[in-house]
Amino acid sequence: MTGRPRRVAITGLGLVTPVGNDVAATWHALLAGRSGVAPITHFDASGFPVRIAAEVKEFDPRQTIEDRKLLKFATRSHVLGLAAAEEALRDAGIRPEGRDATRWACVVGSGKTGLGIGELEEVRRHCAPDGHFHPDRLLTDGFAMDPLAFCRSQTCAGLSLLLQRFGIRGYASSVHTACASGSQAVGTAMKLIRRGTADCVLAGGFDSMIDPIGLASFCLLGALSTDNETPERASRPFDATRNGFVLGEGAGLLVLEAWDAARRRGARIYAELAGDGNSLSSYRITDSHPSGDGPIQAMRQALASAGVLPEEVDYLNAHGTSTLMNDKSECAAVRAVFGSHAGQIGVSSTKSLMGHLIAGAGAVEAALCALAIHHGVLPVNANLTAPDPECDLDFVRGQPRVRRIRVALSNSFGFGGSNSCLALRNPDEVDV
Amino acid sequence: MSARVVVAGRGAICAAGKSPGEIWDAVRTGRPAIRPIQQWDASGWPTSLAGEIAGLDPRALVDDRKLHKLLQRSDLLGLYAADRALDESGFVAYRDALDPPAVAAANDRTGVYVGMGGGSYQNEYEFFPLLTTANGDLATFGRELAATVNPMWLLRSMPNNVLCHIGIRHGLKGPNACLTNHSVSGSLAVAEAAAALRAGEADRALAVGHDAPVEPQMVLYYHQLGLLSAEGLWPFDARRSGSLLGEGAAALLLETERAAVARQGRVFGEFLGSGCTTEAEGLLAIRADGDGLASAIALALDDAEMHPAEVGMIVAHGSATRQSDASEALAIRRVFGATTPPVTAFKWAFGHPLAASGILDSVLALVALRHGVVPGVATLRELDPDLESLPVSARPQAPRSDVALVLNRGFSGCNTALVLRAAAGQAP
Repeated sequence: MTGRPRRVAITGLGLVTPVGNDVAATWHALLAGRSGVAPITHFDASGFPVRIAAEVKEFDPRQTIEDRKLLKFATRSHVLGLAAAEEALRDAGIRPEGRDATRWACVVGSGKTGLGIGELEEVRRHCAPDGHFHPDRLLTDGFAMDPLAFCRSQTCAGLSLLLQRFGIRGYASSVHTACASGSQAVGTAMKLIRRGTADCVLAGGFDSMIDPIGLASFCLLGALSTDNETPERASRPFDATRNGFVLGEGAGLLVLEAWDAARRRGARIYAELAGDGNSLSSYRITDSHPSGDGPIQAMRQALASAGVLPEEVDYLNAHGTSTLMNDKSECAAVRAVFGSHAGQIGVSSTKSLMGHLIAGAGAVEAALCALAIHHGVLPVNANLTAPDPECDLDFVRGQPRVRRIRVALSNSFGFGGSNSCLALRNPDEVDV
Repeated sequence: MSARVVVAGRGAICAAGKSPGEIWDAVRTGRPAIRPIQQWDASGWPTSLAGEIAGLDPRALVDDRKLHKLLQRSDLLGLYAADRALDESGFVAYRDALDPPAVAAANDRTGVYVGMGGGSYQNEYEFFPLLTTANGDLATFGRELAATVNPMWLLRSMPNNVLCHIGIRHGLKGPNACLTNHSVSGSLAVAEAAAALRAGEADRALAVGHDAPVEPQMVLYYHQLGLLSAEGLWPFDARRSGSLLGEGAAALLLETERAAVARQGRVFGEFLGSGCTTEAEGLLAIRADGDGLASAIALALDDAEMHPAEVGMIVAHGSATRQSDASEALAIRRVFGATTPPVTAFKWAFGHPLAASGILDSVLALVALRHGVVPGVATLRELDPDLESLPVSARPQAPRSDVALVLNRGFSGCNTALVLRAAAGQAP
């Protein structure tokens, strides 16, 4: 590349999370240290080894999405994404219109798709009453071959709903690297603007796995905290007593714009999306190497991509899942990348309050980094009372920390080994 | 100047063969591999044809037996194609002869971009015994879960499994993505891999597309939506009546020209540009005027800094649905006008392998150009008179140059175009 790549501004944010159904409510709850983890209400989880989760509460999609026909094509995950996108575009004060629509792109990390348990149970009753699948029965028995169920189950279904609702006509893609999906989507979006493929991007992630199949799949792996009696304490990243993550659901969407255009129209810029790092651990399906190999490369690339020095980083929104291996490996990686400066970085995992939003996590956490920069406040790492000596970073404990942030990093590491790190810079640092 | 991106290795598998050469032979000699479905008895089904890989034991494709339990059919196809592309490039042998710090650097500078398609319904059927036991009672479902379902179920159903296991098998650690965007996933994997190389994020990157949609519930849904033919897949034909699903995978190892030259690797072609757009009118909608596809072509030519007249052949999407072929012909005419280069399409030979099609078509386009032949659409009896007299033929045509334009269309109104140049020299 010759010259400096185009700068990218974050000008709109939209959130639907377990602690709040929009940006303001989510940020307020995080500053108040209010947990979104509680007993599961979406279905009867009484027989499951894990009976707690971070659910989005009292969410009525019809309040934001008046298009009932569109909602028929949407799963809960998609609806969360649609609502967050609506807020992000309103917040940015700009929309795809006319010829500009071809200069808008959309990149989203979509959660795991497939049939819901209701649809799966219907197939089973008709086609596998004895537990064995008889394909021919799909043709008979009045089994509802519902094209809507097919549409909802497509991996690009959420993307399609966003494109259709907002009239985006340029580059469009759905991506999935498990827990790194949302972050990789935002990183890809940044690059689209840098390389001139788009001028504006609606980017983010959404997921909802709090259903019997989703919960079952993580229970089987033994990845979740079983602290059913103390839900608000269950997610405690970096604590010596941590025992697994808490499944959450939600969506985070961001509006990204070419910096100069955003300045010209007088947009409020939360932060510059300054860099993206992206690596593969290639170690195990569910773990990074204990040395931090994999995340180390992602963080180094993000710094290099942003053109910032390690010493300029003031805040790290950690992946911090509250599993034994992740938190240890992540701390080792931070130490390896930052050396003696590691102790100067305020670190928190907001999963301590809102659980793990899986494909939505990275996008939500990127938005939280933008808010942390904008407000000059670092949200807490809740529930950290017995520090793990192997996790010796400067965690934001007890109260949110007021601090001007020059550069913030957001880490997201996925099952399958994809590591993503985003670097966000204070807009005041850009203009001086 | 951004880096030039070359093709340094290829792999492909589909109903028509298990290597680019085998598939090329089937295409060149006009032998379609679309047959009655074998994976289940579909004889009484409204659609009973597909491009299945005959007699496939997918486990025979990947030597690591531990992986067989962790992967689905589509994943094994993807790993197979990726392995072949790496083999052909000679990269792994080159890397392994380096000293340890250089090995680590080479791994960090090698990316992996995978396009996967619609996923699988059958994978969820593993919950059937548990659902039968529970009989509608979720408390029982929760209690009996651990005793009934394979603990590895989630790991087996992850959409990014091919990405994960290519990395682990070969130690690759560079930038990566898993595109889950239906039939344009594979071509987007190429576009993103090339973008990473141009931006200097990596020296080489595998681009892989894989799909295995031939399963009962999937076939019935596609039929229900009117997308499948009961008789055959006949692109651009007056009698065409729909598409047919196929399965397969393909991979390209893309490398910066500098990195390929440094290790004296073979070069099969060059990536010149890509374009991607959406029509944004819904998951299944296709605009009749081909607007999205025409825009994608224009963007790809722009990216390649090329005039339409420089394109030597077009590999059309040619899925053989009434609507897609008609709008595709309009889009091609809109960009190329009266001087449209020879057009062909390959799906008649092996069905529509969804996410695998973009890379499979790219592999074949490069082989075709090296042979100096635009292969005919062997099934073509009568060109649909409504299709703008598209220069498509049942017989071979001569390419106008060494540049191919490869088109792909997928759900959610997505259209992609890739521009590739074949390397000069002998046909492989």
